[in-house]
Amino acid sequence: MSILETKELSHDFKGLWALRNVGLQVKEGERHAIIGPNGAGKTTLFNVITGTYVPSKGNVFFKGNDVTKAKPNEMVRLGMGRSFQITSTFSRLTAFENIRMAVLSKRGIRFNLFKQVDKMNDVTEETDAILKRINLDGERDIPASALSYGKSRSLEISMALATDPDIVMLDEPTAGMSRDETHTAVELVRRLTEGKTTVIIEHDMDVVFSLADRITVLHHGEILAVGTPGEIEKNQEVKDAYLGEMEV
Amino acid sequence: MMNKTTKWILWSVLLVFLIIYPLVFGIYYTNVFVTFAIAALYAVAIQMLLGFTGFLSFGHAMYFGVGAYGTAIALVHIKGLPLIVSVLFGFASALLLALVMAPLVVRLSVTAFAMIHMAFGMLAYTLALKLRNITGGEDGIGAFPIPPLRIPGVFSIDMTDPTNFYYFAMVILGVSIWILWFVTKTPFGCLMVGIRDNANRIDYLGFKLPQTKAVLYLLVGGFAGIAGSIFALFQNLISAMELYIMHSFIQIMQIMVGGIGSFFGPILGAGVFAVLEELTSRYTQRVELVIGLILILVIMYFPTGLIGMYHHFKTRFFTRQAD
Repeated sequence: MSILETKELSHDFKGLWALRNVGLQVKEGERHAIIGPNGAGKTTLFNVITGTYVPSKGNVFFKGNDVTKAKPNEMVRLGMGRSFQITSTFSRLTAFENIRMAVLSKRGIRFNLFKQVDKMNDVTEETDAILKRINLDGERDIPASALSYGKSRSLEISMALATDPDIVMLDEPTAGMSRDETHTAVELVRRLTEGKTTVIIEHDMDVVFSLADRITVLHHGEILAVGTPGEIEKNQEVKDAYLGEMEV
Repeated sequence: MMNKTTKWILWSVLLVFLIIYPLVFGIYYTNVFVTFAIAALYAVAIQMLLGFTGFLSFGHAMYFGVGAYGTAIALVHIKGLPLIVSVLFGFASALLLALVMAPLVVRLSVTAFAMIHMAFGMLAYTLALKLRNITGGEDGIGAFPIPPLRIPGVFSIDMTDPTNFYYFAMVILGVSIWILWFVTKTPFGCLMVGIRDNANRIDYLGFKLPQTKAVLYLLVGGFAGIAGSIFALFQNLISAMELYIMHSFIQIMQIMVGGIGSFFGPILGAGVFAVLEELTSRYTQRVELVIGLILILVIMYFPTGLIGMYHHFKTRFFTRQAD
């Protein structure tokens, strides 16, 4: 049973078809990786699914509902979390306040003008528990902009997960990280997304093959191949797409 | 960190100061203080929009003005209107205007938001000038009856007495400022600063941006209206000049000088402006010259304002260096 499905999804950037007839299927409980050379349309696919853009053609189905035209906040309320390739935290707020924002959303506290947030002990406890789980309890009161790159990436990923979504979409969680940081981040992703449906865009092949249950390969906006890591590794078309990219 | 006792002592000192102020300083300075307090509430309301949520408006004088006109017109036309109800009239008319404007402005970008407000602000100013039979045009509405504050059969306090009015204004303005302060401490306050830092992420965390901004917009409009309402009662005169664009700029300048992004910055800024105006007007009529100069100095040397300056020197002189 697919929790997330796209049907003949196409997106047109004024003449440039960034996506062409993409039929992505994500099964409940799996870690699904989307790979492909630069400009293959991976982030565009994410943007169309999570509601940044309404696709030019085709449909998106989430938990059986047609969510093609849903806005980001509606997708989150339906149970989708998303992290960004370019770190998108609240830079002037502390790590604690960043996570707390997601916790407030998860608890449906949106228009509360009558109770001080510092006195909501359950919110504070939950936020602190999350910070501990991602090893950021030492940086609790440091502004997000002052965190090290690796830590701010952890924060970025955790904010997507802190709303407790049914499916989490991670856009290159290890983007721009050093080898060591990548290793830590992969372990973090592995730990946090245990048993949770995850869609992950990733460049680093080691990461992809160690994390993913299934892989979809995008190339020039189209799906080139779908399969388990073992199948993808052997696929000649995929090799050509990546090798062709290297020659350029 | 301040502990609880120090905090209570500070608040008590402030309260005692506010109570004895008119007795010590006399009627003239009492009126100066009321002018300052009105400006402080107005500036704090604007700060909710500008410093906390990141939206600059060049036209909030219209909310101040509509609040003032609301109170004045109600007092002219309704006989025996109680004082509190007349303030509520001011609040409600500003709120109503905000309700009409909100759907139009909540989806705008920061720049468009500022410019649209400038346009509507000037429109409101022109309307106040031209609709002479309602607003009195350039002459404005003056000498309307100021009702006493009373509970029938219990007490009746004459509000034309400056000292009595001072206490009344302090209660209304103080409570309003406290309400706004409280809002910044609630989850809604978190959302406000979240929108300022990263509106896109707020959307991606499941919050509805336009609706959140609309609630804030109503709040800011309404409380600017209360400031205007008290102003009308205080001056017993309201004219189109109060809607002029300069009355949108001055509050922004006070916020810049006091400290952008800090709740108490605008109050400090309004205080600095009140003192400067008081001092310079003794020697020259060019008060704006001095105020402009101060603004330039602050922006050049302390872009975070006087509150920022205070924090800077505090960390510099009162924090022990790590060995």
